[in-house]
Amino acid sequence: MRVSMPHMGNLYIPLKALAQRLDLDFIVPPLTSQRTLSLGVRYSPEGMCIPFKLTLGNLIEAAELGADTLLMPAGSGICRLGYYYKTQEQVLHDLGYDAEIICLGISQRKLFGLLELLKHLSNDAPWAKIISAFRFGLAKLNVLDRIEQAVQKVRPVELVKGTANKLYAQAIKATEQADDFQALKRVQRDYLEQLRLVERDENAEPLVVGIIGEFYVLLEPFSNLDVEKELGRLGVEVRRTIFTSGWTKFSLFLNPLGVNEKDRLHKAAMPYLKRDIGGEGWETVGEKVLHAKDYDGLIHLAPFTCMPEIVAQNIMPSTKENIPVLTILCDEQLGKPGMLTRLEAFVDLLKYRRAKVKV
Amino acid sequence: MVKVGIPRALLYYQYYPMWKTFFEGLGAEVVVSPPTTQATLSSGSSRVVADTCLPVKVFCGHVLALVEKCDYIFIPALRSVKSKIYNCSKFLGLPDMTRAVIPECPPILDIDIDINKGKRRLYQAIYSLGRHFSWNPLKVRQAALAAWQAHHEYKELMVNKSLTPPQAIARISGAETPSQKTDQPAIALVGHPYLLYDELINHRLIHRLEQAGYQTPTPEMLTTEQLETGVTKLTGRPYWTYEEEVVGSGGHYLESGVDGVIGVVAFGCGPDSLMMDMVQRRAIRLKTTPFMSLTLEEHSAEAGVITRLEAFLDMIQRRKRKEAKVCA
Repeated sequence: MRVSMPHMGNLYIPLKALAQRLDLDFIVPPLTSQRTLSLGVRYSPEGMCIPFKLTLGNLIEAAELGADTLLMPAGSGICRLGYYYKTQEQVLHDLGYDAEIICLGISQRKLFGLLELLKHLSNDAPWAKIISAFRFGLAKLNVLDRIEQAVQKVRPVELVKGTANKLYAQAIKATEQADDFQALKRVQRDYLEQLRLVERDENAEPLVVGIIGEFYVLLEPFSNLDVEKELGRLGVEVRRTIFTSGWTKFSLFLNPLGVNEKDRLHKAAMPYLKRDIGGEGWETVGEKVLHAKDYDGLIHLAPFTCMPEIVAQNIMPSTKENIPVLTILCDEQLGKPGMLTRLEAFVDLLKYRRAKVKV
Repeated sequence: MVKVGIPRALLYYQYYPMWKTFFEGLGAEVVVSPPTTQATLSSGSSRVVADTCLPVKVFCGHVLALVEKCDYIFIPALRSVKSKIYNCSKFLGLPDMTRAVIPECPPILDIDIDINKGKRRLYQAIYSLGRHFSWNPLKVRQAALAAWQAHHEYKELMVNKSLTPPQAIARISGAETPSQKTDQPAIALVGHPYLLYDELINHRLIHRLEQAGYQTPTPEMLTTEQLETGVTKLTGRPYWTYEEEVVGSGGHYLESGVDGVIGVVAFGCGPDSLMMDMVQRRAIRLKTTPFMSLTLEEHSAEAGVITRLEAFLDMIQRRKRKEAKVCA
């Protein structure tokens, strides 16, 4: 059994570590590239969203490498995501790959479903081994996200532009190579220290921009054309609520216990959107209301034709809490120069707005 | 008398007789917006962001047509009518979205319909809706039961007499409507009722097919069992609330011996982009019934639709002639 799973940001690193510890034959699909996108676009139904196209591209590339068991997140009551695997399975079959798609029903079965699946995939490995492997995977995920958060803070204020990105790339590699908890801890300490020592502009008061919107396009830099890096280059500090590690922590461990990190957002969105509309629509509206005071602006990322985000986009202009929002629709037609022009114009507007408020 | 407005779009085609009976049972007057016109569509699209789907734009146009004509507008948030099967985000957020984009709209009666939360919550939702008109829970109960009855009669009428929703609604209100001729060759239409029966956005598709001498069976004319078997054959367990209209009827009609199947989808419709693809793949695999998918959007010109329809019908004719020759 050769297992594979589509990419989402750096998620493949923890997954690979987890699989190695369980002696699973895990195939990491080639990193998402232009070819992945072209394959995805070519075989997707018209009008599908970018997460479908990219994950389909990943699955095809994994199948090309011989993967026969493909894991695909799904679940009910979210958005089209719950239906992805049905269509993707048919596309793969029509292309002649005899792969089985296992849907990860994350929304219903939580942690235990996931552990049971691992047990099944690893040919009945002992529970102790599964749990230790799972913990190691989570540890890697946490390290990656902690470093990314530090990088987000350094990017706008560093004196030599690009230092943080270089360090980040090295850190990703080092995390991937770390093969026990000790080494992992060392990597985290090392890189956080190095990032702390990066020479920075002490007087800078960077603009603060929140990144909100759909889960996948927020976490997969390929799909949003590295919007965070570009904003960093323009001297803007980005704040993002959604991180894979945070999501795992809540949706696997804390939500079943009744702790919901999103209650705050939902409450804030209440006057404008009273109910869950699937995807991240409710949270998007909530973030706008909640952060209208403490951020300079918001960048709303959504895949083209994303159902929940369109509803959110329609509702956002009507909120009393006022903050500039730039919506960027991500799909294969999104071009870098076009996006950069819009980002620059947006940042100029925010600078002007801040200056006006100060006077 | 209190006037309740119901926009002639989206869920209207499925539930109008039910809603009408309910509100009239509570002593309210029901106002329906006039059929879609170009002006409805333009006014609707001027309010929402560009990539909102066509049916929602039409819906907003209908709400605008009802402004100042009624005291309330009824827009339910229909989450789920079957266990663990959910609806598209746009239906879930419809009342909130309408309130946001049409601030001048009269008060919106929004209730959450969600079977998964249990019977009690559903009944509570119905009572809270009825409370706007009557303090008497028994009266609300009576109206709700009558509405449920009306809904069943409406559904049965469509299945037994092969009527389209507009025809069935006309017949319920007493008008005579001609029944479909059953001796003609058939082209089945597959898609959501708000696309198939809105003559503006589909450029009078049904009328054109009838003119060309075809009868047009639609999803509403199938029984629940037929629809469910259709879904099971194609995708297994349904995922969307209205999966039966598309995948179910598509699965049924592709193997029912009709001369052709036309799948009607709206541009930008999330669920349709996946569901119609399922039907299309099935059609390609079966290779028995010609299938055409027709995407509707606000810019699609009538001439384009006609050309595609003519080409499709020509192809069916040619196929028939060829088959006749082989047999002879």
